[in-house]
Amino acid sequence: MVETINLYKDYKVGKVLFPALRGVSVKIEAAEFTAIAGPSGSGKTTLLNIIGCLDVPTKGDVLINGTNTNKLSSKEKATLRKNEIGFVFQTFNLIPVLTAYENVEIPLILLDMTQDKKRENIISILEEVGLGEYINRRPNEMSGGQQQRVAIARALVKNPSMVLADEPTANLDSTTAKEILGLMKELNEKHKTTFIFSTHDQLVMDYAQRIIRLRDGKVVADKTKKSEGPGDSS
Amino acid sequence: MTAVKLAWRNVFRHTRRTVITAAAISVGLSAMILMNSMMNGVDKLASQNIIDYETSHLEIFADGYYREEGVFPLDTIIDNPGLILKKIEQISNVKSVAPRVKFQASISNGIDELPVIGVGVDIKKEKEVFKIVNSVVKGSFLQHEGDVLIGKDLSRDMDLDIGSYLTIITKDRNGTYNAFDLTVSGIINTGHPLFDRNAALISIEQAQELLAIFDGVTELSVRVRDDRNLVRTKERLVQAVGKEYEVYTWRELNAAIFEISGFKRMAQFMIALVVVIIAAVGIINTMLMAVMERIPEIGTLKAMGFNNQGIVKMFVYEGGIIGIFGSLLGCLIGLLLSLYLVHFGIDMSAMFGNADIVYPMKFIIVGEIDYWTVLSVFLFGVFVSVFVTLWPVRKATRLQPVDALRHV
Ligand SMILES: Nc1ncnc2c1ncn2[C@@H]1O[C@H](COP(=O)(O)OP(=O)(O)OP(=O)(O)O)[C@@H](O)[C@H]1O
Ligand SMILES: [Mg+2]
Repeated sequence: MVETINLYKDYKVGKVLFPALRGVSVKIEAAEFTAIAGPSGSGKTTLLNIIGCLDVPTKGDVLINGTNTNKLSSKEKATLRKNEIGFVFQTFNLIPVLTAYENVEIPLILLDMTQDKKRENIISILEEVGLGEYINRRPNEMSGGQQQRVAIARALVKNPSMVLADEPTANLDSTTAKEILGLMKELNEKHKTTFIFSTHDQLVMDYAQRIIRLRDGKVVADKTKKSEGPGDSS
Repeated sequence: MTAVKLAWRNVFRHTRRTVITAAAISVGLSAMILMNSMMNGVDKLASQNIIDYETSHLEIFADGYYREEGVFPLDTIIDNPGLILKKIEQISNVKSVAPRVKFQASISNGIDELPVIGVGVDIKKEKEVFKIVNSVVKGSFLQHEGDVLIGKDLSRDMDLDIGSYLTIITKDRNGTYNAFDLTVSGIINTGHPLFDRNAALISIEQAQELLAIFDGVTELSVRVRDDRNLVRTKERLVQAVGKEYEVYTWRELNAAIFEISGFKRMAQFMIALVVVIIAAVGIINTMLMAVMERIPEIGTLKAMGFNNQGIVKMFVYEGGIIGIFGSLLGCLIGLLLSLYLVHFGIDMSAMFGNADIVYPMKFIIVGEIDYWTVLSVFLFGVFVSVFVTLWPVRKATRLQPVDALRHV
């Protein structure tokens, strides 16, 4: 469960402060599949970064499973990210010198787990994202869609309570984007992992069960669909 | 996959850069090792020359005789060596004792006159203590009254050969000038400049006559069986001979030379320091580049839950791996070069010519490897590599994860 309470974020641009978030309060329950939508510059990335403890708010609080992240040291935040949060980036952010398998292995470096268990988890998640055949490929030997699948596997391999994905499909063509979203939805249902992703792509939004719309740093709409699945317009 | 393995992969992202950095380290370290081997070799050879030709392991003088090197006072000599010889020879570690008479003199070939150190040697005992006998390259060792042995450099400088005549002139104990005509019976080549260039060896009886000191000798040189604990043997000797004599080890008698050697080591250390600084700058530069170009990646790792400590660890391993490579290579090259020195040596005489040298050896440097130094140099190289990596890494860990991720 994630809750933001009256979240403000000001960026300093030169000498003036630019408000990127202006009082965002949202509550996202476990196992939700939620999109943060809004035009460019509306504060989507800023919000996701603050939820993910990658950045600090100027004002307001974030509660993750009841823990107020404002009160955590940077080391404790790292531990929280290690155990609870998986990230998927717009630019994939795979480590180029590592194979798909090794990239997925990275989050597990930090966890106490037997070598066999690690191996089992990595193989099974890579198979789930459809890359069973590609485990020994390096990022530069894979398509964008395949790379993003690796990134999703990497986010999920440690079985976090939530996955944060900032425009996960922005660098993919629409067919691949749909595939990736389909995959994320599937994993969300199977693992009961909370997914929060941002997008300004209508097609991608259609997959979401709930859409939180931002504009100029404020929530302007928050809709939850009754029936699930793509195709419904909101 | 472990942090070490990840670091290992990162090391090989830029193989060329890694190789160049490791090479810089290895050049520095191999220079350190080579220099050390040279210094050790120089010291060892000098020590050997001192022991084999100049002082042997221990020397006994009359109390008050020894003031400084190169001064040979005749007023405080051992007037009756027979009194203590037996006592000395009875000490178990003593192999042999040889008396010598050293004195300031000059020799003349009729045209030129040169100052030398006259050395009166006991023809029989000398062979048991010193190695001059083995260094005769032309003619033969002293045999008759009136024979003189000179070094090969002196024979060249004064145009003397086997059978040549020379006159040795000195002031005797009473301050009267005395001279003898001598025949060159042999030419020696010891590698010790004092003996090759500056000494004239005659029989001890002749020296005693020349100096009017009767049975007196200036020193008793003692060769031991086991030279590992000279200080203890010295104590025994002091006990045996009593207060009227003084006993010195060869090292004490040559303190000045080893002071020079200490100074050389200091110079060596300074050069090494410069080399190491260059190597350190190389690795700082490499690690700085590695950190800067991977800042977004550091952000990604932080997002996945790595804390600063984890990031630092990864880069420290990376610097350490490069350091281990460079240090291993450096030690290997240093060892190989040193081994060459040990087996072949290098002739530096062309560089130094015949300049007067204080060091009791010729400028043919033969290496002597000290494996502890090699090990310390290796550990030092790795330590420095790891240590200097900390600085660039700190820069990266100061960033918020989001700033690291956004960094381009
Ligand atoms: N580091 C920063 N410094 C200054 N201003 C920033 C910074 N990051 C974001 N902003 C500003 O804050 C506002 C919100 O940015 P944010 O990146 O959250 O928007 P977004 O909704 O993710 O946009 P996009 O769809 O283009 O990714 C923008 O106007 C942006 O210019
Ligand atoms: Mg954005």
